[in-house]
Amino acid sequence: MKTLRSFALAALSCLALSAPVSAAPGVNAKEIVVGTVSDLSGPIAMLGVPVRDGMLMRFDEVNAGGGVHGRRIRLVVEDAGYDPKRAVLAARKLVQRDQAFAFIANMGTPVVMATMPIIVDAGRLHLFPFSPHRATYEPLHPLKFQNFAPYFDYMEAATRHMVEQRGYARTCLLYQDDDYGLEVMKGVEAALARLDRELVERTSYKRGATDLSSQIARLRAARCDLVVLATVVRETVAAMAEARKIGWEVDMLVTASGYSAQTHELGGAAVEGLYGVSVLPHPYVEGANSQLAAWVERYRARFKAEPNVWSVMGYTLADLFVRTAEATGPELTQEAFARTLERMQFSRDYFGSPSYRFTPEDHLGNRHGRLAQIRDGRWVLISDYLE
Amino acid sequence: MSGLRTAWRHLWPWALILALAVPAMGADYALGKATLVITYAIAGLGVVIVVGQAGQIALGQAALVALGAYVQAVLVGHGLAPLLAMPLAIAAGALGGALASLPARRLGGLYFGMSTLAFALIVEEVLARWDSVTQGAAGMAVAGFSVFGWRADATLAQALVSLGALAAALLLCARLVDSRHGRAWRAVRDDEVAAAACGVSPAAAKMQAFVVGGALSGLAGALYAHWIGFISPEQFGLVFSFELLMLAFIGGARRLGGALWGALVIVAIPQLIAVLRDHLPGDWARAAGLELVLFGAVIVAVVLLRPSGIAGARP
Repeated sequence: MKTLRSFALAALSCLALSAPVSAAPGVNAKEIVVGTVSDLSGPIAMLGVPVRDGMLMRFDEVNAGGGVHGRRIRLVVEDAGYDPKRAVLAARKLVQRDQAFAFIANMGTPVVMATMPIIVDAGRLHLFPFSPHRATYEPLHPLKFQNFAPYFDYMEAATRHMVEQRGYARTCLLYQDDDYGLEVMKGVEAALARLDRELVERTSYKRGATDLSSQIARLRAARCDLVVLATVVRETVAAMAEARKIGWEVDMLVTASGYSAQTHELGGAAVEGLYGVSVLPHPYVEGANSQLAAWVERYRARFKAEPNVWSVMGYTLADLFVRTAEATGPELTQEAFARTLERMQFSRDYFGSPSYRFTPEDHLGNRHGRLAQIRDGRWVLISDYLE
Repeated sequence: MSGLRTAWRHLWPWALILALAVPAMGADYALGKATLVITYAIAGLGVVIVVGQAGQIALGQAALVALGAYVQAVLVGHGLAPLLAMPLAIAAGALGGALASLPARRLGGLYFGMSTLAFALIVEEVLARWDSVTQGAAGMAVAGFSVFGWRADATLAQALVSLGALAAALLLCARLVDSRHGRAWRAVRDDEVAAAACGVSPAAAKMQAFVVGGALSGLAGALYAHWIGFISPEQFGLVFSFELLMLAFIGGARRLGGALWGALVIVAIPQLIAVLRDHLPGDWARAAGLELVLFGAVIVAVVLLRPSGIAGARP
């Protein structure tokens, strides 16, 4: 009997030792599973692919160095193609089948809004989604964190700065007819209201439009001297090219969605002089500091492609996750991670990123962008982060 | 007894698929997928009635789903119980179907198909512009489905609600297809002039088919709004319309069961591919658009091997 009891105790001890250190979903003794519902084949795949690669690169580096407290990080990527129906299924797969500990950088407002309840109801972290929707950080939720500056906030500051500093008298807006365009419009209107001015003209286009000639003609007829663009890369190029084609040398200011190397690569001379807002600088090799140059080389070697601002974003988001997981300690749970992130401050790094800061009362890490301009075929930063 | 045997003959493949899917994928994931398959199947039934039975080209069916989804979302948002809002969502789909069918009085074939496409574009534009009601392009959140205080938050509950709706829709469609309405639809589909000579009004038959198809789409839209929880006009664009059309042809447009098989292929196969992709080695697993390519290959294979659809007659 005594032998049997000893055997049972030994068996129980073995079981206890072999059990995971933490019972949190997505975490065991060997790995942490991180999920992302991205767009690798839909309308914003040009963001989704580099963001995913940036995250993979950071996690690979951590894993090569022994992981976070001995655990490797495994990124499971699902492609929803900007379709909420596919996204719902992808989120359920990641929650139940892959047991994702956290979701990072889910992409697109319809996707984010459809999947967020599934994720937080399952007790998983919803971190840094690519969506301007305020529901990603307001009202305060213990599992939701956002670090992308809202279009409203940084476009309000950028428009106000441009109008004040450069004395524009007739500000107009060309916007994409969706939640993104509407947020920018509110920001621009708020900036002008603070300066006791009005938006002189506004005109919209549907996502995917390639011909903006009628919109540009309308803005020209309104004699605008600054056109704010709530556009993405292709429409930014189309708007600038159309204006130059008809001989209209108006200044244009695009949001961070148009701040991309693809804008000057596609637009060439037509986009020379375009102003833009940057929430994270493009990683140019020329003039880069030694750390950034080394990072670009590693990225090229890993993916056989040139990194862009979205790659930096992916890398940065993964880095925020890694640093918070390290600070949380070996007893990693969603609750412990969230409470740690609420105390974290991330200072500016070699990419030139803003500082990110979360508190128990505020889960939005950054509200600021900085101005840039295309000069000699590349973006040049012309201001610090605007308050 | 023979009725039970017939029902079992139709149901056993589905029971087998679910029995395999639940342990393989996990109950929540499999039931979530089943819910969407069933919701798509209800919308697909509408396409089967319009395209397969009445022989009309419908290129804008997603607009009718959108009408159901938005009416449901707006009414529930204003405090109406989901179960009370649902008949109005169905009515909105039916009314939309009637409107979409009006050009059929003067147009036929592809020209009429183009008019349904235009109808879909108009609906999408109205939903995006009517900010005060639909919240425009920003989209609107939709509360979960509930009846007398019971909330269908769990995937099992959602699947059961959808299944109940599908069963009711299938029964209604089966009755209609066997009735004089069904005979009129098929007569118009096979030869409009001959049908008119026999006393069948082609215009009325087409409108009836569109009203039924629209009502089914409205029902699917109402359920969709609850299950997805967030709707925006872009979700109901042309891609969705073509998905529904593809669903009917892959499943078999001339049989009601075709809607179920088509929904299974359209909704579940991409997810199955996503699961299998996880097991691919190295960089293959992260190739962008891999699911789309494989899904395209599956569609081509189905069309080549079963040109009349999975539920249709063998070639």
